[in-house]
Amino acid sequence: MSVPAVPIKVRSWQRRGPLASAAWRHPLAIAGLVIAGAWIFIAIFAPLLAPHNPLAQSATTFVPPSWGHFFGTDELGRDVFSRVLYGARLSIPLALLLVTLALLIGGTVGAIAGYFGGIVDGFVMRSADLVFAFPAIILAMVVTAALGPTVRNAVLALVIVSWPSYARVVRGLVLSVGEAEYVQSARLLGKSARRTLIRDILPNVFGPVLVLATLDLGNAVLLLSGLSFLGLGAQPPQPEWGAGVAEGTQYFQYWWIGTFPGLAIFTVVLAFNFLGDSLRDALDPQSSWSQGGDAE
Amino acid sequence: MAVQAFRHHYGLDKPLPVQYGTYLWRLVHGDLGESQQTHSPVSRDLGEFIPATAELAILSILVAVFVGMTLGVIAAVKRNKLTDHLLRIVSLGGVSMPTFWIALVSLYVFFFRLNWLPGTGRLDAVVTPPPHHTGLYTLDAAISGQWATAWNALQHLVLPALVLAAYNVGLLTRYTRSAVLEVISNDYVRAARAKGMPEPVVIVRHVLRAALPSVVTVIGLAFANVMTGAVLVENIFSWPGIGQYAYHSATTLDLPAIMGVSLFVAVVYIVINFLVDVLYGVIDPRIRIS
Repeated sequence: MSVPAVPIKVRSWQRRGPLASAAWRHPLAIAGLVIAGAWIFIAIFAPLLAPHNPLAQSATTFVPPSWGHFFGTDELGRDVFSRVLYGARLSIPLALLLVTLALLIGGTVGAIAGYFGGIVDGFVMRSADLVFAFPAIILAMVVTAALGPTVRNAVLALVIVSWPSYARVVRGLVLSVGEAEYVQSARLLGKSARRTLIRDILPNVFGPVLVLATLDLGNAVLLLSGLSFLGLGAQPPQPEWGAGVAEGTQYFQYWWIGTFPGLAIFTVVLAFNFLGDSLRDALDPQSSWSQGGDAE
Repeated sequence: MAVQAFRHHYGLDKPLPVQYGTYLWRLVHGDLGESQQTHSPVSRDLGEFIPATAELAILSILVAVFVGMTLGVIAAVKRNKLTDHLLRIVSLGGVSMPTFWIALVSLYVFFFRLNWLPGTGRLDAVVTPPPHHTGLYTLDAAISGQWATAWNALQHLVLPALVLAAYNVGLLTRYTRSAVLEVISNDYVRAARAKGMPEPVVIVRHVLRAALPSVVTVIGLAFANVMTGAVLVENIFSWPGIGQYAYHSATTLDLPAIMGVSLFVAVVYIVINFLVDVLYGVIDPRIRIS
């Protein structure tokens, strides 16, 4: 049986090829990709892009933004623009590392809890509740203060704080997918737990967890820079954005010292949130903005 | 030996279960231990710092609920129009802004440049605090009829409260929008419109009322966000609240104080979630019956 030809109205943007049409339909995703891509590019090529050494001090302190120093100079005469560019080398890889670690730990633990249930489930989920009971920032502050204020410990503290949300989501998904007939039959056929989890369950968990992880990247940048702002992350000579804003609070009248590092945090987080939200549209229609379902 | 005397004084030479038992025993008697940093009982410290944060948090959440719900309703009504798309960006922007950064920028603009609002602290240095009733300066001053003091306290409150509200505005816009969209295409809404009811009345009386339970759920989350934000914002605004206390006790590893703050936050969180459950029944009588 042949399908009768229906004349399709071709819109002008559709004729321009698939890329242009994708950009037209998902402007947020494209904006997010472009901004995030630009920052990743900056992070990789910071030494080539930065006009000055981010640590080099000079006698020209508190110079307002000008052609010589796009973002001005700080209290030690360091070039704020170069420091912001170099800051990407800290914040972006650390956020990626943090989310990956939290996802691996939380995901594995949650999958095991959901698959086996019983005592394992009870133990894992109660430990997750224990972490949830604390306000995240207070727990993270205590951990970094106890271990010593370094970037590594700040990441560690935030992993401890953020793995439970992944464990919870993955556990819930594994529980619901585990009921499906094809999973039950795989188990009845005597497939190992590991095989069932990886081959049959994981693909179903992938989408929602990817959305969560992308949105969490933004949060990771916010929390990491927040800890550094409080003096619990990156230490003074390091060009870190949160620490840059903290510097700005001390030299209040020289607005450029704090404003530009903060703007960097804002644009990076916004880009990750644009991406995460667009992914949610594509992968999780239930809670997407364009469908307007239940936002959970 | 000093170390041994110290360990004995705080009961650290006893087995852990005994220590925990002692802690619980003291806790139920309202004794949270002594802060090693301020050398005063943690319960007294909390009593001193909580009102400052409470004043900030209440105003901030009220603002966030009002603005967030309004924006959410507008986005839902104008669904898929330009306004909706712009509000999506506003909502995502709200949750993307580093709180400590907007605090700094807004202080610079509204205090340092424009001088519209006072800078740091709860009152101007020359203003004496009002007599203590609730610890909330605006309320205390109003009770005592010191209107100039109340006005001053309110001016000090505006900037940090708005800064703290930014994240929750983004969150509430999103939740309200999807909650409204879920009910807006129902038959009873169409019926209300069909009988010629003006659109604002339809939205407020029929749509918003039905959407309220799902929005109220987020209030607990909004409170958690305000607590996180308070740690950062109080730091910048020199606001003598629980956020600063948490920061100082965490960085000095003042364990009794950390435990006290965590307990307080947990209790407030439970109380808020309980109130939310009660509110459900008020908003939606069907829940009360079942």
